[in-house]
Amino acid sequence: MEGRTGNARIALPGFSFWLFPMALPTTLLILFIAFSAILIGVFVSRPGATATRGGKITAFLLLFFLPILCATMGLSSELERSKSTAFCLSCHTMEAFGKTLYVDDPAHLAAAHFQNHRVPADNACYTCHTDYAMFGTFMVKLHGLRHVYIYYLTKPPASENIKLYTPFNNRECLHCHAGARSFEEGAVHNADPDLLPAVKSNKISCISSGCHDVVHDVAKLNQVKFWNGAH
Amino acid sequence: MAGANAIEKRLQIAAILIILGLLVEAVCLLWARPLAFLIFVGIGMLLMFAGIVFYLISLVTVGAGRSQ
Repeated sequence: MEGRTGNARIALPGFSFWLFPMALPTTLLILFIAFSAILIGVFVSRPGATATRGGKITAFLLLFFLPILCATMGLSSELERSKSTAFCLSCHTMEAFGKTLYVDDPAHLAAAHFQNHRVPADNACYTCHTDYAMFGTFMVKLHGLRHVYIYYLTKPPASENIKLYTPFNNRECLHCHAGARSFEEGAVHNADPDLLPAVKSNKISCISSGCHDVVHDVAKLNQVKFWNGAH
Repeated sequence: MAGANAIEKRLQIAAILIILGLLVEAVCLLWARPLAFLIFVGIGMLLMFAGIVFYLISLVTVGAGRSQ
């Protein structure tokens, strides 16, 4: 099974997949970096070119501004790519979580969001698991570094034993759902007048038992039916 | 003349460091994995930063040597 999300196919265990057919901006960036390296290479083969005033200015542009420009563009590209669903699922431990996005059951929260494009399919993991607070993206990237450390330098836990570092904050859900008619006027949400204020103040979790409590049920993946995906 | 040779030698070293950093970055952009991101930042950017700093220090120190 393959899930197509924009220009990237999502990695699902046991199925054929590929990651990141090279996007045009990335290709252009690589060509630009290669071109920059060739230009700078001129100074390696002909260091005497800096003897003239023009040569000195060119050297300053090539050895100072151009590398900074390349590094900034490259870092921006890498950071953007690190938000992609395919990037998150490229680690073996996350494959089961990728599979849960294709469970054919609307009660599965992650699957329902992914399949109905309530979150951008290309950035599905990041959209829900980022932190919509000040420095949130930075904190999420730090967590990502911790993931990498655990993955490469320790024994990563089995997928079904992976837990969030902190309880899921309703703020992440409310970032999109607050103000939405289906959320504000939903029959279940309004059955108890105290419920919505409690949810909005994070006193009752959206994913608490009896509510949207099936998110990534990786332990029962062998018991569910899968959606074939949009082709 | 000796000063010119010294700065040329240093420019070459700085350029080589920057080129190595650029090559590492280009390879990392081809390889879309979390480890590539770390190599990009930890090795690629470090090499480029070292090259740029070496270049700037070369300009300052060789310039200062000439004025003396």
